[in-house]
Amino acid sequence: MSTPKSSPRAFRRPIPVTKTELEPFTSELTWQRAPGVPKPRPPRVVEQRLRILMIGWEWPPHHSGGLGVHCFELCQELTRMGHRITFVLPFHGPRTEIAGVTFRTPGDTPEGPYPGAYEIGGSPTRWDSGDIGTFNAWIGTLSAKPFDVVHAHDWFGTAGGSAIARRDGRPFVQTIHSTEYDRSLGHPWPDVLAREQLGIDAADRVIAVSNHLKEQLVERYKARAEKVRVIYNAVRPSERLSALGGAKKIVLYLGRLAAMKGVDTFLRAAAQVARSEPGALFVVAGEGPEYPRLLTLAAHLDLSDRVLFLGKVTDEERTTLLASASVFVLPSVVEPFGIAALEAMAAGVPAIVSKTSGVAEITTGMFTVDFWDIDEFASRIAELLAYPVLRHTMGEEGRISATREGWEERAIQTAGVYREVLAGRRR
Amino acid sequence: MKVVLYLHLHQPWRLARFRYFDLGSARPYIDERRNLEIFRGIAEQCYRPALARLAEALEEFPDFRLSLSVTGTFLEQAKAAAPDVVDQLRSILKTGRVSVLAETYYHSLAFLLPPPELAEEVDLHTAALQREFGIRATSLRMTELAYSDELAAFAGRSGFRAMLMEGWEGVLGDRSPTHVYESATMPSVRLLPRHYRLSDDVGFRFSSKGWSDYPLTSEKFVGWIAATPGDVVNLFMDFETFGEHHPASTGILDFLSALPHAVRARPGLEWATVDEARDLPPAGPLSVPRTISWADQNRDLGAWLGNDLQRSAFEAAKKVNLLAHRANDPELLEISRRLLTSDHFYYMYVGGHGADAGVHQYFSSYGNPYDAYANYMNALTDLRRRTIERLT
Repeated sequence: MSTPKSSPRAFRRPIPVTKTELEPFTSELTWQRAPGVPKPRPPRVVEQRLRILMIGWEWPPHHSGGLGVHCFELCQELTRMGHRITFVLPFHGPRTEIAGVTFRTPGDTPEGPYPGAYEIGGSPTRWDSGDIGTFNAWIGTLSAKPFDVVHAHDWFGTAGGSAIARRDGRPFVQTIHSTEYDRSLGHPWPDVLAREQLGIDAADRVIAVSNHLKEQLVERYKARAEKVRVIYNAVRPSERLSALGGAKKIVLYLGRLAAMKGVDTFLRAAAQVARSEPGALFVVAGEGPEYPRLLTLAAHLDLSDRVLFLGKVTDEERTTLLASASVFVLPSVVEPFGIAALEAMAAGVPAIVSKTSGVAEITTGMFTVDFWDIDEFASRIAELLAYPVLRHTMGEEGRISATREGWEERAIQTAGVYREVLAGRRR
Repeated sequence: MKVVLYLHLHQPWRLARFRYFDLGSARPYIDERRNLEIFRGIAEQCYRPALARLAEALEEFPDFRLSLSVTGTFLEQAKAAAPDVVDQLRSILKTGRVSVLAETYYHSLAFLLPPPELAEEVDLHTAALQREFGIRATSLRMTELAYSDELAAFAGRSGFRAMLMEGWEGVLGDRSPTHVYESATMPSVRLLPRHYRLSDDVGFRFSSKGWSDYPLTSEKFVGWIAATPGDVVNLFMDFETFGEHHPASTGILDFLSALPHAVRARPGLEWATVDEARDLPPAGPLSVPRTISWADQNRDLGAWLGNDLQRSAFEAAKKVNLLAHRANDPELLEISRRLLTSDHFYYMYVGGHGADAGVHQYFSSYGNPYDAYANYMNALTDLRRRTIERLT
């Protein structure tokens, strides 16, 4: 390891592009090395810096899931490597700035027909398909010519992004973080589905955040497997804060309260554990459409005084929660990646995730359970509460394994995909 | 120069998933059907064909000799899952050119428990050998070739005349593993050190295509043996090397078949059993104060007791075994011994990376060491409750 992870990022100079990026892309295996093998840092060589037009949806400090974090961290590392990014967002509002990232938003451009109706960051749920159409039409007025590559995240800007890439002869890269099938638990909104399909079909390369997701893209969206690359999410190393006072054993769920997240499994397992562990407190942190139903379920399970619904938590509260938790549970029915579980591990909290979670592909240091197996979730929670040696060993080993590869590696891999599509164009 | 081929046959009783909320449910800890299924698979790949090759070799080459050890848990499973394998063993033992070694019945770390446990487990094993094969074993091997001065003293007191050990520089210093030694604490016990490099050429490296000596032929291998100075080359390895660790498609069974001929073709080489080789004149006394084994790079007990999970599980298992002795209940004592089988602790190894971790994962019946620990502790906690109930 040539770069110590602890050095403050703000004071680090941009590093030149690494040799890995220059090597012809032969196999995904170089990315998906076994988590156990320490990764040698490749020597650095000077290379052409890329100009990237990236199309997203959300950006810190306002973000609701893994997408915003992914875009932010990825851009941070890409700019450190010397690349320049113009990031397209549908909303105005406060943004955490990164040197080297320029933002474009509807209404800020004189040539755009867009009226600038969304001056204040609105809730995505208030958008209808007409708004999305307008957003994409506005993207269509941008020029891709000043850029080397156009890169869209999820379905929001696929129509506009792919159109300008084609028109201006630039390669188009599409990252899929989750699919409409999964988010809707099998009842997809046809318009969203069509936009996902468009992005996947038009892309020179598709990036999926796990193998599990890649398989789905190949099966359901008929993506050609050869053009799909897997690049996982990552977390930053974090020092575990000293645990909060009190003898409570905290079992934590942290994430959106959506049907695909399987929070009712968490509550049903909690009901089993609560009987044998009188000291255990179950915390549900996050908001979402399932909240009223889950609240009713908790009461029905006679858990009202054992479960704490915290609602939406800030990043700071998140850190505190992870620092005080004994066990982290992510029982999702479908989970393309599950970055919260990786965050928990990085904070030294042993994690229990459903077997289909993408995050389970990059580490063996967690318990994996079939999403429907409430008894097994309950047993795993109880085991972690009952056996301190297990909790401690899993926590410590997990901390190391969760941060073995970070956003820097993910950015190198993403830049590798850019080079791949550019090389394809030159031939 | 004598050549000793010693093969170890073992299968553990793997635990079923025993959940935390199964405590007190009287569910069995061991899923016998699943274990027997696994056994049948390995019998098909390995035990049946390899024993057949060995029987042929013993028939064709009157000078061929062989040594074996067979754990009690192996015998139990073989009798239930593949009795013909036990018949194969009986039939090659009838040649009189195969010696069988004693060990702990349960392939356990009983030597780390208070004294009666080790003696009782070895007695159980020698009795089983007597019962199944009509053989009285007079050489001893400990689980995973564990060896120390203290174990030699135990062996001598129990009437054993030889023990196997790892021929590791860490204890041999500049002495060669190609001699027989006598225990410094118990001179009546002769020590046969394993030639780990030549043994691992077959056991680990045989099918490795990246190895500079790949492919390994019997002629090449026996050439290496012949070029080794000394009195004896001890080739000690798992029996499962032949057909399971290396599948038949690698040519390992043909290699085994070709060995007796290749040895006979080399003047100066001669097969011997462990019981014969121990009578070679000893090259001097050898003291091994700290327990060594044949596992991993460190040759210590780290493979079973190297991390907190393993140590805490083993300490808990020791206590339950003591309680089971006190409860004087044969069934509970037997279960506590099945839970002492060393494999359970081996599965809890947290390596992370390196060659050893790969070997551990290969042998594990769990997804990761945490599964292994949690499941084991649930079963052990349940047994502890049952034993305490019996005592009160």
